[in-house]
Amino acid sequence: MSVVPAKRALPSKESTLFKELLTLYETRQLKKGLKTADQILKKFPEHGETMCMKGLVLTHMGRRDEGIELVRKGVRNDLTSHICWHVFGLIHKGEKNYEEALKCYTQALRFDQENLNILRDAAHLQTQLRIYEGLVETRHTLLRIRPNFRQHWVALAVAYHLNGNLAEAKKVLEQYELTLKNIPDYDVEHSETMLYHVRLLEELGEHTAALSMLDVNAKSRTIVDRTAIMEYRARLLSKTGSDEAEHAWRVLVEHNPECYDYYRGYLANMNLSLEASEENVARALPVLAEFSAQLPRATAPRRLSLSIASGEHFKELVKPYILSGLKKGIPSLFSDIKSLYQDTAKQQAIEDVATEALASFKPALETTSSTEAEPTSYLWTLYFLAHHHSHLDHHPQALAFLDEALQHTPTLPELHMLKGRVLKRAGDLLGAARCLEDARLLDGQDRFLNTKSAKYRLRAGMVEEASALFGLFTKKDAPSPGQDLEDMQSLFYLTEEADAHYRNGNLGLALKRYMAVSKVFDEVEDDQYDFHGYSLRKFNMNIYINLLTWEDRLRSHPAYIKAALTASRIFVSLHDDPSLATGGAASGQLTDAQKKAKKKAKKAAQKVQEEAKKTATSTNNNEDKGLEPPNKDDDPDGSQLLKCPDPLERAAKLLKPLATLAESNIEVWAATYDVSLRRKKYLQAAQALSRAAKIDSEHPELHIRRIDFRQLVSSLPPETAGMSLVSEVATKLVPEAVSVDAYNSQYLQRHAMEPAAILAVAKVQVRLETPREQVEDTVFTVFGPALNLKTALTILEFLGAIKSPRAGEFRTRCGEQFPLSTVFKTPEELTQLRLLVVAGQQLEDKAEDM
Amino acid sequence: MSTTSIRQMRMEDLQAMQACNLQNLPENYTMRYYLYHALTWPGLSYVAEDHKGRIVGYILAKMDEETAEGAPPHGHVTSISVLRSYRRLGIAKKLMLQSRTSMASIYRASYVSLHVRKSNRAALSLYRDTLGFSVEDIEKKYCKFSLFCCRLHAMLTRILDADGEDAYAMKLSLQS
Repeated sequence: MSVVPAKRALPSKESTLFKELLTLYETRQLKKGLKTADQILKKFPEHGETMCMKGLVLTHMGRRDEGIELVRKGVRNDLTSHICWHVFGLIHKGEKNYEEALKCYTQALRFDQENLNILRDAAHLQTQLRIYEGLVETRHTLLRIRPNFRQHWVALAVAYHLNGNLAEAKKVLEQYELTLKNIPDYDVEHSETMLYHVRLLEELGEHTAALSMLDVNAKSRTIVDRTAIMEYRARLLSKTGSDEAEHAWRVLVEHNPECYDYYRGYLANMNLSLEASEENVARALPVLAEFSAQLPRATAPRRLSLSIASGEHFKELVKPYILSGLKKGIPSLFSDIKSLYQDTAKQQAIEDVATEALASFKPALETTSSTEAEPTSYLWTLYFLAHHHSHLDHHPQALAFLDEALQHTPTLPELHMLKGRVLKRAGDLLGAARCLEDARLLDGQDRFLNTKSAKYRLRAGMVEEASALFGLFTKKDAPSPGQDLEDMQSLFYLTEEADAHYRNGNLGLALKRYMAVSKVFDEVEDDQYDFHGYSLRKFNMNIYINLLTWEDRLRSHPAYIKAALTASRIFVSLHDDPSLATGGAASGQLTDAQKKAKKKAKKAAQKVQEEAKKTATSTNNNEDKGLEPPNKDDDPDGSQLLKCPDPLERAAKLLKPLATLAESNIEVWAATYDVSLRRKKYLQAAQALSRAAKIDSEHPELHIRRIDFRQLVSSLPPETAGMSLVSEVATKLVPEAVSVDAYNSQYLQRHAMEPAAILAVAKVQVRLETPREQVEDTVFTVFGPALNLKTALTILEFLGAIKSPRAGEFRTRCGEQFPLSTVFKTPEELTQLRLLVVAGQQLEDKAEDM
Repeated sequence: MSTTSIRQMRMEDLQAMQACNLQNLPENYTMRYYLYHALTWPGLSYVAEDHKGRIVGYILAKMDEETAEGAPPHGHVTSISVLRSYRRLGIAKKLMLQSRTSMASIYRASYVSLHVRKSNRAALSLYRDTLGFSVEDIEKKYCKFSLFCCRLHAMLTRILDADGEDAYAMKLSLQS
C-alpha cells in the first residue's frame, strides 16, 4: 500500500481533480463528474482509476454499454487498484451478478484491507450468497476496525447465528451489552436487542436463563413489546415445565381471544390438542367451554370445540353456531365449517340443522306477524344449503336452492358468485363466467368482484375479455392491464393467464407468463439485498433472521411450483418438437382471438418502446439512472422464447430449487425425470424415479416413466457413463423377469377402476405400439363414478393426439356423464356460448352510451 | 357464527397479504414495500387466517416517519382489507384493535392516522362508524409517494400512486 505504482500516480493538479471526481460521484453530480474525468483523461488517457470512474458515471447516466466497456479497460490498466476493483464490483452488483461482484470486492480488499465501505458491501454480498463462514470473518474485521460502532457487534452476533454457531453469537452479545452505558428509556432498538438475546438463549435450549433474562428486562421496561413478552414467556414457561405456564397462556388468550395459536399453546401445555381424540373430548372440550363462557364475544373457542366434539355433544354445539351464522348472514359460514365434513356424521348433522332452519325461516304465506325471523335468514340458509350440495357434487340441488334464493333477492352478488362456482364445478365454465359477470355488474366499484369475474373468464379461455375487466382497476397509464398486474407482482394474474394461454394452445404467451412468475421470485430474492445493511442499522435482528430463512424457502410457494412445472413441460415439448416454436404446423392455424391478441401485444410493445424513447430523450442527461439494467420487452408474444436454443437447460434451472423445496411433490420428480433423461443425465433421471416411488409407488405418472426408463436403459450402449448403477436402479423400478406388456396389464388390473391409471396404461400401450383400436378399448373403460371432469378432459386430449376416430364418441359420452358441462362441446358450439357470456357487458355498454 | 384466527404477521404471510390487497383494493404495492414495513415495524401488522391457513384479511401498518421533532409519535395504517367473502365477521375491527394496541405499547403512539379516497364510501363508513376514526382534513391529490421519506427511499422506487383523487385524512386517538 505504501508505494503508489508509477502508472497510477498523478501530478498534483490531476490528483486533486481525481479527488473531486470521487466526491462528484458520491453526490451524484454526474455531468460535472464526467467533465472532470475527461479533464484527467486528456492528459493521462490510460489512467485506470479515472477510466473506471468515468465508466461508472456513464453507466449511471444510462450509457451502459460504453460505461461498462470503459470500466473493463480501466481494470485491465490497473490490476492492483482497489478503486478499479471496487467500481467493477459495483457494476456487477448492479446487474445482480453477486458472485462476480464478490470476487471483485475480494480483489479490492487485497489492496486496501481496511476499507470500511468495501468491507461492508462484501458482508452484504456474502449474506446474499449465504457464504456465512466468510461473513463471520468480514464482520470480525469490521468490529476490530471500528469497535465503537454498536451495529458492528450485533452484526457479528448475527453472522455467527447464521453460520450455526449460536454459542459464539451469545458471547458476542454478552460482551456487547457490557459496553453499553446510559441507555435511554423506552429505546426500541435496545428492546429488540434484548429480545434477540432471549431468542438466542431459547434456541440454545437454555430456557431457564432465557426466562429470567426476559423477566428482568420486562420488569425494567427494557423490552417494550408487550405481545412479544407474553408470547416468549408462555412458551418458555411451557418448555421449563413450570406451573405458571397455564396462567401465561391464559393471559395470551385474554389478550387476543381470536388467535388459534394461543388456544393451541394452552392445550399443548396440558398435553392436549385440537384433534378429535378421546383424551381431547374429555379434557380439552371443557377448557374451550370455559373460555367460551368467560369470553362471550370470542368465536374461536366455539369453532375449535366443533373440531373436537362428536355425537350428540357435537349436535348440541353446532346448532347454535350455525343458526347464529345464518341469522347474521355470514357468507363464509360454509367454508368455515367445511373441514368438518371429513366426518360424515358431522356432515349429516350440519345438513339437518340447516334443513330444519330453512323450514323455520320460511316466510309464512298468510301472516307476517307470527314469525320473528328476518327474511334474510331464509336467504342465507338457502345460500348455505346450496354450498353444502355443491360441495357434495349435487349440482342440480345446489342450483335449485340458488334459483329460489335469486328469486327472493336477485341483487345479492354472493348468490351469483356461488351459482357461478356451482356451474364451474359442474363443468360449465362459460355459464360460470356469465354468473360472475352478473355478480360484478351489481357492484362495479368492488375490485374483489371484478377480479373474480376476470378469473372466471380466464378459466373459460376468454383471455382478451378478461383483460378488459382487469383494466377497469389497473393503472390507466400502464401499457396494458396485464403489464400493470405483472409490475405489481400479481402471481394470481400471471398464473391464471398463463394457464389460460396454455389451454388455448398459445405456448408462447403461456411460457412468457410462467417465466414472469419465476421473475417475480427473482425480484423478491433480490429485494432482501437492501435489508442486509438496513436491518442491522435498525437493530431489527429478529425479523431480519426470519427474512433470510423465509427467502431461503421462497420458491416453495405454490405459484412458483406450478409455473416451474408447466414451463418445464413446455420446454420439454419444444425440445421434442421444435416445429411448435414456429407457429406450429402441429397446432394449425391461429384462431381469430389469438391473431387479435398477437396484434394487440405487438401494439402494446410498440407503445412501451415509444414511451421509453420519449423519456430517454426528454429527461436531463444528468439524471441518475442507477446501475441496474433497464427492463425492456422485446418479445411481446413469447415467440423468441419458444425459439430459445437451450430449452432443457432452462427447464432444469427452473426445477432445481424444487428438489429441496418441494421434495414431497411427485410431479416435481416426474418433471425432473423428463428433463434429465433428455439431457442424457441418466443417473439423475433414475434418482428422480426412485424419489417418486418413495412418495407414491403406484402413481400413474410414475408408471409411465418406469416403462419409459426400462426401455431406454435397454437401448443404451454398455459403455455409457455410470451404466451399472443406472441399470441397477432400472431393475429395481421394473423387475427384469416381467415383460413390459405384462407389467402394464398387471398395473391395469390393480387400478382398473381409476381413470387416471387407465389413461397411463393407454399411454404406455401407445408407446409399445399396441393397435389403436385396443388402446381405445382401454380408454373407454374409464366411464363410471370415479371419472372426474379434469381427467375426462385429459383423456379427450389424448384421443385427439392419437387421432382417434372415436374422440367424438368420447365427447358425447362425457356430455352425458356431466350433463351440465360445456367443456366437452365442440369448438363451434363453444363460440356460440362465448358470445352469450359477454352479452351482459355489451348491454351495459349500450346503456352507458344512451 | 364463523371465525378466523387473528395473529401477528409473519414473513410467510407477506405474499398472501399482497395477493389479498391486489384482489380487493386499487392501491397496490410491490413486495419491497411490504418488506419495508415488516422489517421496520415487525410488530404492527396483523393477518386474519381461515381454517385452511389462507390469509383472508390483513392490516399493514407503520409509524409515521415525518413527525416533527418533539411532536408525539403516531401510527399510520398503510392498507387494511378483508376479502369480500369474509365480511360481516368484524375482522377489520379485530385487526385494527391488535395493531393499535401494538402501536401504543411498542412505539408509544398517541394516535393512528390513515387516508381514504373520497369516493370510497364503503371504507369511509368502516373507518368512521365501525372503527371510530374521525375526518381530520381533506388531502388534495392523494399520493402515496409523499408518505415515505426515509433512508430506503431509493429502493422503494415504484409504488403505484393514486390518480390524483382527493382523500380524507382520518385520525383515531389512542389515549383512553
